Amino acid sequence: MITLIGPCAAWAQSIEGQVRGTDQQPLPGVNVVVPSLQRGTTTDEDGRYRLADLPEGTLSVEFRFIGFKTVTSTVSLTSQPTTLDVTLESETVELDEVVKTADGASALLNRATLAVTRLEAEEVELLRGQTLGETLGKLPGVTTLTTGPSISKPVIRGLHSQRVLVLNAGVPQEGQQWGGEHAPEIDPFAPVRIEVVRGAAGVEYGVGAIGGVIRLEPRDLPTAAALQGSVSMNGFSNNRQGSGSVLLERAIRAVPGVAWRAQGSYRKAGSSHTPDLVIGNSGFEELNGSFTVGLQRARFGLEAHASHFGTELGIFRGAHIGNFDDLQRAIERGAPTARYDFSYGIDAPKQNVRHTLMTVRGRYTLDSGDQLEAQYGTQWNRRQEFDAHRRFGNPLDDPAFDLTLITQTLDAKLKTKPRGSVFGVVGISGMNQGNVNGELGYLIPNFRALTGGAYARATWVQGPWTVEAGSRFDHRWLRAFPQMSRLEGFVERVNTYTSLSGVVGAIWQFAESWSVAANIGTAWRPPGVNELYSFGVHHGTAQFEIGDATLSGERSYNIDVTLRHVSERARFEVSAFNNSMDGYIHLFPEPEPRVTIRGAFPSFRYVQTDAWLRGLDGVAEYQVLRFLAVGAQASIIRGDDRRTDQPLIFMPADRLRLSSTFSLPDLGVLRDSQVELGGSFVSRQTRFPVGAEAADPPDGYTLFSAGYRAQLMWGATPITLSCSVENLLNTTYRDYLSRFRYYIDDPGRNVVLRVQFPLGFSDS
Amino acid sequence: MYQPISKYLTGALCLVLFAVVLAGCDSNEPDDDGPGETELITRVVLTLTGGGETISATANDPDGDGTNFQIDDIILTAGTTYTGSFEIADDINGEDITAEIEEENAEHQFFFTVGGAASSRVTVTINDQDENNLPVGLDFTVAVSDGDASSGTLRVILSHYDDEPKNGTDRSDETDFDITFPIAIQ
Repeated sequence: MITLIGPCAAWAQSIEGQVRGTDQQPLPGVNVVVPSLQRGTTTDEDGRYRLADLPEGTLSVEFRFIGFKTVTSTVSLTSQPTTLDVTLESETVELDEVVKTADGASALLNRATLAVTRLEAEEVELLRGQTLGETLGKLPGVTTLTTGPSISKPVIRGLHSQRVLVLNAGVPQEGQQWGGEHAPEIDPFAPVRIEVVRGAAGVEYGVGAIGGVIRLEPRDLPTAAALQGSVSMNGFSNNRQGSGSVLLERAIRAVPGVAWRAQGSYRKAGSSHTPDLVIGNSGFEELNGSFTVGLQRARFGLEAHASHFGTELGIFRGAHIGNFDDLQRAIERGAPTARYDFSYGIDAPKQNVRHTLMTVRGRYTLDSGDQLEAQYGTQWNRRQEFDAHRRFGNPLDDPAFDLTLITQTLDAKLKTKPRGSVFGVVGISGMNQGNVNGELGYLIPNFRALTGGAYARATWVQGPWTVEAGSRFDHRWLRAFPQMSRLEGFVERVNTYTSLSGVVGAIWQFAESWSVAANIGTAWRPPGVNELYSFGVHHGTAQFEIGDATLSGERSYNIDVTLRHVSERARFEVSAFNNSMDGYIHLFPEPEPRVTIRGAFPSFRYVQTDAWLRGLDGVAEYQVLRFLAVGAQASIIRGDDRRTDQPLIFMPADRLRLSSTFSLPDLGVLRDSQVELGGSFVSRQTRFPVGAEAADPPDGYTLFSAGYRAQLMWGATPITLSCSVENLLNTTYRDYLSRFRYYIDDPGRNVVLRVQFPLGFSDS
Repeated sequence: MYQPISKYLTGALCLVLFAVVLAGCDSNEPDDDGPGETELITRVVLTLTGGGETISATANDPDGDGTNFQIDDIILTAGTTYTGSFEIADDINGEDITAEIEEENAEHQFFFTVGGAASSRVTVTINDQDENNLPVGLDFTVAVSDGDASSGTLRVILSHYDDEPKNGTDRSDETDFDITFPIAIQ
């Protein structure tokens, strides 16, 4: 019943079927193409087609028709004729997408008034790193804040954690995002397209979208009634990581419009190493899965999605220190005293993180043509942190820290169809969140947060102009039970925050291949519970951190201008931004250190100031010759405290990445071969607040990379292969945004192998 | 034809709203008697016996975070040799930690540093050794030489060796406590 990949044998196989629209009417004239064989046909008056004399094996078939979304199906051919029926969905007017035309160049030029990078699922495949943070760290304007090799979180234009909103399947991902050592709970193998919005986007996305938004959208469910799927496998030499993912999906023939997808991934990594040393206890083990089922009809759709993320990860043991004096001696020495051997074992200190998300969303087109959409999401996040020592029990079994966060969200919106040249959206959203801190009310208290918002946005499109405007109102009620010191009991604190946000934006396509976009937007976020109620030593940095319960919300006013060009040989997108933040919450050094029985700690208090974040980022690609393309991307950012004229702490250093891609001629079974050489140049951060950190920022560094990728044709089955080498010269370096820069170098050379092949199952 | 589905959707939406509101009623009042966060020391008592007297100096940090951190002075008599010992406690959880350090003495070492004018007058010697014949410091001697009145400090550090090798001379990067007692010689 099931055949995976077969070598090319007899060319006696055939596929046939019928192509219909979502209204079940047959579609004549649809192009049916097998790209790997450069063969095709069109459907007849009844929407039927037949392709004969095909090789045995797995191949992908494309169905293209103007005004409809292209469908690609993977099918496995055996000696019996294979039936492949397909439903094509019409290209709907998506507010967030392009409205004007389906033309590719124009789509890019009119993408958004903000700076946006979109990665389709196939592109994500090629960029995929060890973590989501690493994958995104290769995009313009995005850097990563790392805590050893196993934890990395994306930093957008200098902002991260609670200032970056992650939207997972339409729902704001709610984990314990207040810590720099808390990575987003996202499966790096998730079959999604990723969109990174840089800059404040409060009207569109609500609370927290101050620095930017990372949108992960599950790709569309299949419309072909044949079981299909794919397998991905990755290997990383540095930490001897093996990982793999399996995806299966199909549309159900018996019930038109119903389809499902199941996906699972597993990753296991041991300790990473620097060019000289093993980073002891830096391995991880991760098991993730997701399931989606949907019903799509012309007038309505319903989709349910569930995903689970689970990881156990070790924290480098050499970073476990007692007091500030210990930290200073570790910095002076420059390397850990203990030597570690490679191991897959995960010892304390470590983190156990589980995140489960369930969403249900529906759409319904009203008689007027407007569309009603609603989405409910519930997510459960559990974070356990295990300290290196634990007197009451085993450090590996009893967490020092155990937080459970349960969040429910509900969104409803009405998208209007274009009336004249105007269309818009109005919506409401609500969130109910509860945090339970095991039995430890001390660091992050138990809390309940209720948030509600309402918004409206309108877009006007005329000739070369797109203009949009919108406004949003949000309110948050927060009740927390902080414990102000270990000796005192819990107190109840209630705070409320209210905010109004707005956005005005425009795109002007002033020439056929050029456009300029501008966006003025605001966003806000209420202070996080850590900023309000922290009181204690932050491990790793040996800082004593004190919260302030009287902090008010933080607000950002962002101006963003993006110049875009798309032509046959060149593509570029450059943005300049000025993000002015009022009430920017940050840690400010106190004049006196905190002296405890463990020793002295520099003391920091959460205070509010006004800040500037200004800079440039962008990407450019140019096809020099038919076989040679060159590319560049750069990110420059300047962050300043407007009140003290001091630079802001932890701003990513300027960086430039150059790459050249050589396309090689097809050779036997190898198609679409490419060799890519790249270099990343990161300067030293020279702008930092003096005296706020235990050591000055590290030197700049240059890393080179090389890679080869190709499609290996196994019969008609394309197997995607890639091999790349990161940190090619095994350079010793420390990044300023590596939280372990005080203790140990960043990882050395890493050889990465990626293999991906499609699965097709014959129906017989 | 689509009417029933629209009704169904509306019904589902109301149900969901209801669930959201309902879940909002739970209160999340915290539980008051959890265990401590990490290995915690709140009180160290240094006892010196010699010259017919017993001196006891306490460093007490009741919440472990430096609020109301009190350190007693140590008054020494010139020309006296004292035998010293420690009592180390976590008063928040009501635990005596001295015995634990004794058990894990190969993973711990005390370091004594005399500062100020008294540094030339006071000598501290560790008397006990772990299984590797490396010093521990739960049993020690404080020798005060003859002379005029003087003052200074006695800094006592307890180092914890986890992965780091204990070599008897170097402190570790994991300090369990670090207390500076003021001292006076009479």
